[in-house]
Amino acid sequence: MKLLCEGISRRFFRNGKNTNFFNAVEKTFFELPEGAVTEIVGRSGSGKTTFANILSGLLTPTEGVLLIDGVDFFSLPDEKRSQFRNKNIGIVPQGQTGLSSLTVLENVLAPAFMYGDGKEKESLAKELLSQMDLFELCDVYSNELSGGELRRMSIARALINSPKIIIADEPTGDLDDDTTRLVLSLFRKKADEGASVLIVTHEHDALQYADQIYRMEKGVLSKEG
Amino acid sequence: MSFASGISIKNIKRKPFRSLLLFSLVLLIAFTLFSGAFVIISLRNGLECYQSRLGADIVVIPSSAKGHGSVDDILLSGITGNYYMSGKDFEKVASTEGIASITRQFFLTSAKASCCSARVQIIGFDPKTDFSIQPWISESYKNEIEDGDVVVGCNINGYDSGLITFYGQEYRIAARLEKTGTGLDNAIYTNMATVRQMAKNADRLLETSPFQGVDIETATSAVLIKVAEGYTIEEVADDINIHITKVEAKMAKSMISDISEGLLGTSRMIGILVALIWALALIILIIVFVLLSNERRKEFAILRVMGASQKMLSRIMGTEAAILCAAGAAAGIVLSLLIIYPLSASIKDMLGLPFLSPGIPVILLLALLSFALSLFAGMITALICARRITKNETGLLLREDA
Repeated sequence: MKLLCEGISRRFFRNGKNTNFFNAVEKTFFELPEGAVTEIVGRSGSGKTTFANILSGLLTPTEGVLLIDGVDFFSLPDEKRSQFRNKNIGIVPQGQTGLSSLTVLENVLAPAFMYGDGKEKESLAKELLSQMDLFELCDVYSNELSGGELRRMSIARALINSPKIIIADEPTGDLDDDTTRLVLSLFRKKADEGASVLIVTHEHDALQYADQIYRMEKGVLSKEG
Repeated sequence: MSFASGISIKNIKRKPFRSLLLFSLVLLIAFTLFSGAFVIISLRNGLECYQSRLGADIVVIPSSAKGHGSVDDILLSGITGNYYMSGKDFEKVASTEGIASITRQFFLTSAKASCCSARVQIIGFDPKTDFSIQPWISESYKNEIEDGDVVVGCNINGYDSGLITFYGQEYRIAARLEKTGTGLDNAIYTNMATVRQMAKNADRLLETSPFQGVDIETATSAVLIKVAEGYTIEEVADDINIHITKVEAKMAKSMISDISEGLLGTSRMIGILVALIWALALIILIIVFVLLSNERRKEFAILRVMGASQKMLSRIMGTEAAILCAAGAAAGIVLSLLIIYPLSASIKDMLGLPFLSPGIPVILLLALLSFALSLFAGMITALICARRITKNETGLLLREDA
């Protein structure tokens, strides 16, 4: 699945000295290739997360177009865009994102149940949880997990619908070295299977798993190497 | 079960405090709505019943009745009193011009002694001329009241043998009357011959007889008059008051309007109170929903990340609200019934106004309306809050929580 940004930018309101706006993402052209791991690095506040949220369809760009397989994604009605995201985009957002009313297994299975019968995905969910070393915690409620466990749970959840596009924002932020390697290997494997993987990070652990690296600085995206 | 329903039920179970808070608020709304409407309807029913029971334009009582309470207390509230005008005075009243129909009643208070089963007001009336009590009795008892028979108000309980004793003599209970919600429910009714027989027995048995100097055979406690066409009520009442010295004629309309004014004032006050409590509960409900939905912004953002549409989020919040509001509304109505229904008598005493509970169909309709309104209030609030959150971009919600 081909994801293409054409002249995308995002402006936010903020009281400043000379202007009340700032551009979190300057006009950007970008392509997320299929079957590859793309990494965007940059310092905190450089605009990486805003850009990742635009690519995920969670934040509307101020200008520009996001094309997925040639379709202007933001021109779709909310219902269609949401269903598309559910089926095709696995998102690992920044921060802790567990639904506290659900157990770990229910959290992972939730996207599978939204628009279909998720029961058939139960074995996949358990397999993903095993890979994330969380199988023992299947029946535990998510608010009882540690930060690292929650992070791994949200990675498993992002992969439950076998998405063609994976967008992970700081996916290894709370993880130890071994688990970081485990997670990055898994993303690599998904890319090798044909998925388009985007990892947004300020760390350098992921560099060895990436096929192409971009740097974001003050909202400007540039390719490295 | 759909995803929205499933997650809503899990949210309710896993967030007991939040659920209980919403449940309790809707319970309060439904309780206020139902019990307020119940009391107001009961008061209006009571007044209607009052009006239909009286049926007279003018009530004439002996001047000596003044010490026994007001005439409406005696005629309509069942407050006891023994006072009589002579047969001669009754004849004078009856000969007044402008009377279309006239009937008389004889009041007797039973004694609080072994000779009587209970201390109650006994009202003797003439079935041939009566237009005040007979129509009401006919609703429960179609036959003529025979000599020695009595008809009891609905609050006169017991007497499974069907017999009741007054002044050493047993009388047959022929029927029990429908509830009026007034003091009339505490009285006993019989024909003139029977009440006069009771009075004679009382005269014989009591140490201090209430009939000193009164001829029991001709005595009358109250005269009820319907004014003929071509005459005004005021004219006839004034005529009686001016020409017959030992009696007092009162216009029934003024009695009813006094009660009606009191009732209107009370029901207006209750209505305002209900509206205030209802509005307050609704405002609290809105505040709670807004606070809870603010607290749930992250939860909604996570669901959006997973692919939930705005509609799905509204469905989740709507389903949760529907379950909690329906349960709260039902509990509020049941609680209201459990408290208000058994306390009707105390409420009536407290308000000092006629109070007649509505029938089952009206109660059901009231319950249904209270339920629908409470559910509607909760659902609308929930959906407005859901809309408020979902219109925000998920990316911004995630930024807030990052």
